[in-house]
Amino acid sequence: MGQFSQYVMNGIMNGSVYALIALGIVSIFKSTKVVNFAQGHVIMFGAYFYFTFAVMLPEATFMPDWVLKWEPEWLAGYKEGALMFSQKAAIAGWVNNVPRIILGLVGAVICNGLLGLLIERVFMRPLLGQSSFAMILCTIGLIWVLEGSASLIWTADVDQVPPLGPNFPIRFSLFGEQVFFFSASVVNFVLALLLFGSLMLVLRFTRSGVAIRATAEDQSTAYAMGINVPAVFSSAWVIASTTGAFAGAILASRNGLSPTLGLFGLSVLAIVLMGGLDSFLGVLIAAMMVGIFESLAQWQWGGEIAEIVPYVLVLIVILWRPNGLLGQAEIERI
Amino acid sequence: MIIGEYKTDYAQDEGIWNTWAKKLGFLLALAVLLLIPFVANDYQLLMAGQIAIFVIAVVGLNVVVGYTGLMSLGHGAFFAIGAYTAVAIHQFFPHIFPLITLVISMVVAGFFGFLFGLPSLRVKGLYLAVATLSANFIVLFFIRQDWLEHFTGGRGGTETPNAYLFGTELVTNQQKYFLIVPITIVLFLFAQNLFRSRFGRALIAIRDNDHSAEILGISLFNYKLKSFVISAAYCGAAGTLWAYFFPAILPEDFGLNMSITLLICLVAGGMGRSLGPIFGTILILMVPEILKMVAFYFSEGNASAQIYFSPIRDIVFGLMIIGFLIFEPMGLVSIWDRFWRFISRWPFAK
Repeated sequence: MGQFSQYVMNGIMNGSVYALIALGIVSIFKSTKVVNFAQGHVIMFGAYFYFTFAVMLPEATFMPDWVLKWEPEWLAGYKEGALMFSQKAAIAGWVNNVPRIILGLVGAVICNGLLGLLIERVFMRPLLGQSSFAMILCTIGLIWVLEGSASLIWTADVDQVPPLGPNFPIRFSLFGEQVFFFSASVVNFVLALLLFGSLMLVLRFTRSGVAIRATAEDQSTAYAMGINVPAVFSSAWVIASTTGAFAGAILASRNGLSPTLGLFGLSVLAIVLMGGLDSFLGVLIAAMMVGIFESLAQWQWGGEIAEIVPYVLVLIVILWRPNGLLGQAEIERI
Repeated sequence: MIIGEYKTDYAQDEGIWNTWAKKLGFLLALAVLLLIPFVANDYQLLMAGQIAIFVIAVVGLNVVVGYTGLMSLGHGAFFAIGAYTAVAIHQFFPHIFPLITLVISMVVAGFFGFLFGLPSLRVKGLYLAVATLSANFIVLFFIRQDWLEHFTGGRGGTETPNAYLFGTELVTNQQKYFLIVPITIVLFLFAQNLFRSRFGRALIAIRDNDHSAEILGISLFNYKLKSFVISAAYCGAAGTLWAYFFPAILPEDFGLNMSITLLICLVAGGMGRSLGPIFGTILILMVPEILKMVAFYFSEGNASAQIYFSPIRDIVFGLMIIGFLIFEPMGLVSIWDRFWRFISRWPFAK
């Protein structure tokens, strides 16, 4: 039982990262009715931007030393006598990294936001009014463009980036068995949920959120009511790419940085459709479900079966509910 | 589409070659196809065979995506099933006549097409695309399994047999060309013929609006499934020929990349048009080769410049797809149409 809950909790933590990636796909779909197959690659760009600003830039000669390694005076006192791999040492190591983590996140969010704007303006805007099929294929074409440019700008080598939070194991016992996590994944979990929750609040309560929801409801009516619909489209892409920057930073610190990061987007696409394309809550539930089942499958049958868990689940759910768990059925008129 | 063609009865209008230009063009194409194996070198024949195989698969995809309007991202799986069925058959009957293998593979792939098509009755649009994508992943998962390793070679892939035609083994690309291209022509003409019949028109009605089609008395259950079966059988045939054509296959060859490539060939050529798959496949498969030649010309064999080649190829490829969608959304066929319209109206109007 203890082990079971261990794997369920691991699954929830993975699920929160899936939910963060899915957030981008849903927010683009809700306002523009485009399903972004390239979201995984936008996230990959976020990860590379994080790498650029958190690793490459601080190592440059013109940057002050404290950016690469921050050693305030109180830290020396705190660190004194800390054992290697202990909690204290891990926190102290994290404090060393804080400036470059912040620099990395800010840089990644800004650059990825600009990337989102660029994609929307150059590639998606000319396709306005065409079938959704054409738009989807356009995002598929984007996959190649993004993948190619990433390996042109950065090399295709695997690199390491600093984790967002201090990384030490947390142990406690549950149902009489030892359970443990890494604190970094707890930080990722909290960050993902915070972003997810705050975006839902923004959409519900702010003027721009209302504009996005109105555009999702009916584009031409939104135009008639004085809403700047193209601006809504841009903001949806910016939301997706900035949350993608966070997701990229999390993924890169967890799995290492490589161009294959983009493939992650596809299993997340399955999650999005499972939850229902236009429902944040459904997607959150689906992401958690997939995370949990994946980690349980890994526990019981090993990694290979875990790979296809999202696809099996989405097939079952779609057959049972053709519009996803909580998605709205489209009304068709002849 | 050629206008200004004078017809006096329906039989002329219904014919496959309903204009002189089509008839002449077909004969010309046949002559060129016959000539290719005698003038082309081995590498060019490799490309030609690959294009011919892909044309079969894309024609099959056109039945589901272009004519029936169902989106599928899972056709790589049928390709895989066709290829692996051929490998498995050759384990029991090493010298079997290739057309028998072809028919068996088409039947097996068609059966899987039936299974893949079942969700299409409940699920539409993008949800169907992801359902087929999932099915593709699941099929490849089973192919990689150890307990099927005896037939499929597992994750390490397997060597594929050569075809035996009347006691001679088809080894060179030239010999294989003569097996593949006639099959491609026959299957292409069959698909072309399909859309002159009630069946094909029913599929087009489903594409235009499935509820209206059902009201008109077209059984969605029946036609959607049949469309999936036919399309899968085409991809199965392509897979079998692929197994004959190449020395070995890997499960990864038939993943999402394959499914997407097929779809892109179709879109670049023009969906729901019979010539679309041919134009699209030739373009999409030739572009990397042309880029390779261009890159070689500019780098002059400079090895350090070669590492930039593959990312640049990816970027150009992606931009080309997007460019097509933005500037020529109906595909290459629409350029073809414009050309012929210009010819037939000349010198009066554009």
